[in-house]
Amino acid sequence: MKESLLLSGSGGQGIISGGFMLAESAVESDKHATFLPEYGPEQRGGSAQCTVTISDTEILSPLVKKCSSLIAMNEQAYKKFYTNLKAGGLMIINANRVTSEVTRKDVKVLSIPCDDIAVEIGNPKIAIIIMIGALLGASGILSKEAFLSSIEQKFAEKKPEVMEMNAIALQKGIDIGKQSL
Amino acid sequence: MAKVLMKGTVAIAEAAVRAGCRFFAGYPITPQNEIPEYLSWRLPEVGGAFVQGESEVASINMVYGAAANGTRAMTSSSSPGISLMTEGLSYLSGTKLPALVVNISRGGPGLGTIQPAQTDYLQATKAMGHGGFRVMVFAPSTLQEAVDLTYECFDYAERDRNPVLLLMDGSLGAIMEQVEFPPMKELTDEGTRKWNLAKHEGETRMPRMLTPVYPEVILENENKQRALLTKQWEENDVRVEEFMMEDAEYVVVAYGISARVSKEAILNLREQGHKVGLIRPITLFPFPKKTFQNLNYDQVKAFIDIELAIPAQMRDDIEVAVRGRAPVYEYGRSGGMLFDDESVYDAIHKIVTGGAE
Repeated sequence: MKESLLLSGSGGQGIISGGFMLAESAVESDKHATFLPEYGPEQRGGSAQCTVTISDTEILSPLVKKCSSLIAMNEQAYKKFYTNLKAGGLMIINANRVTSEVTRKDVKVLSIPCDDIAVEIGNPKIAIIIMIGALLGASGILSKEAFLSSIEQKFAEKKPEVMEMNAIALQKGIDIGKQSL
Repeated sequence: MAKVLMKGTVAIAEAAVRAGCRFFAGYPITPQNEIPEYLSWRLPEVGGAFVQGESEVASINMVYGAAANGTRAMTSSSSPGISLMTEGLSYLSGTKLPALVVNISRGGPGLGTIQPAQTDYLQATKAMGHGGFRVMVFAPSTLQEAVDLTYECFDYAERDRNPVLLLMDGSLGAIMEQVEFPPMKELTDEGTRKWNLAKHEGETRMPRMLTPVYPEVILENENKQRALLTKQWEENDVRVEEFMMEDAEYVVVAYGISARVSKEAILNLREQGHKVGLIRPITLFPFPKKTFQNLNYDQVKAFIDIELAIPAQMRDDIEVAVRGRAPVYEYGRSGGMLFDDESVYDAIHKIVTGGAE
C-alpha cells in the first residue's frame, strides 16, 4: 500500500497542520510517511499545499508527479491541481468554495460543503478535519483512532471542547466518506 | 527511542547535539534556518553555546576558534552562504582543526533561488576553498541517514583533524520523515587532548600554538600528509549503496534526493523488463571509484547521471571511474526546478530504448 495525498487550499485553512497530523498518525501507526510542504515566495500569496506520502514500506521518492488523493479546499487549489490526480484516484473538494464544474470522469469525486458543516458543528476552522475524515472513510488509509490521537497531541493544551468538536468533525467526515463507498 | 516525525534540518540539528556538538555559529539563510533556530534553544539546554554571527565569515571563524579549544563545533548555511565560508574552511584545514559544516543547498549561481538544487557538488568535492585541501563530503538521501551521518561526522573530523561537509539539498531539508535518534554521546576531549588549546585546571604544560602559517619545507610536508589522508579515505572510508545492480545493463548514478526519485523510476522500469540499477555515492568525496572498477563491462551498456544540476557535476567523476568503457549520459533539472518519478522514468527510458543522442 502506498498513497500520496495532496492537500491544497489557502493559508489559514489548516492545510499544513492537517497534512502534518496525517503524517504523524501514519508514523504512530507504524507506517512510513513523508510530509513535504510547498515552500517559497508563493506561500506568501496566500496559497498553501502539502504532499503526504503514506506507505507500508520505505518511501523511495517523496517527489511524485501524480497523487492518489486530492483535497482541494478552494477554487484556486482545484484549478491548479485537478490534473495532478491519478486516474482512479479520489478527489475531495470543498463544495462551498469550488465553483468550477468537475470535468474529470476517471476519478472518484466527493463534493462536501465542509464550510457549512463546520459552522454547524461550531467552528469554521475544523472544515479540513471533515475533509480528512472523508478521506479516511473512503480510503481506509489510516484508522480513526490514529488520527484522533494526533489531534489530541495538537490540542492537548486547549479546552476539552476543542478536542470534542474535532472528534465530531472527524466522525462526520468519516461517515460521508463511508457512505460514498 | 521511538520514531518521531521530524523535518530534515531539525533532525540534523538534534543529531549534532547528540554527537557532542556544543558550539554553533551561523548566519540566517533559507532553506536551512531551522538548524540555527533549533540549536538556539537546544544548545543552551545541554550546556553548549549558540551564536548568531554578524555574517558567514564571522560565523565560520567563531567555529575555527571553538574548534581550536577542542569543542565539537559546527555551522550550517546554504549555497551562497557556504561560498562566503570557504576562506574559513581553508583556514580550518590549514590549521588542522575539526568542524562540521552543513550545506542545505539551493539553486545557483549567485543568490540564485531558495528552491532546492544539487549545484554545489564540484565546490564540495574539488575545492571547498583555496590551497588544495580536500574534505570528506557526505550526502544522505533519507532523514535517518542524515541523522546517522551527522552523528558520525564529528568523529571523522576529529580523527583527521580536518573539517567535514554534510551536503543535502533543500528538498530533503524541508521534508518531514520518521527518524530514530542515537543516544547522547559522552563528552570527552579524548580526540583533541593532544593538541587542543584548552588548559584545564591543574595542567602544567606549556601553552600551545595552532597556526595555518608554515615555512615552505614544513608546509610541503603537511600537504604530503594531506595527500596521504586522501588516499586513506579512498581505501577505508568510501560509502556507497548499490541498488538492483546484479544484472543491471543500464546504471543510474545519483545521490541524495535524486537517488530516491531514481529508485522509484527504476522499480517502474524493472516492471517493464528493463535491467536498470543504481549506484548511489554516500561519500561524494572520496568518490566510490572501486564500485565502477568492479563492474562487468560486458554487461553494462551505459551510465546515466541524474542530478538536480545542469550541466551534471558528478559526471566528471563518473567518466574518470568508467574510463571510456561505456557511454555516460545525463539528465537533470536546475535553478530550483525539481524532477519527479515520471520525468526521471522518461529520461532513463529514452536511453534504455536507444532514443538518446
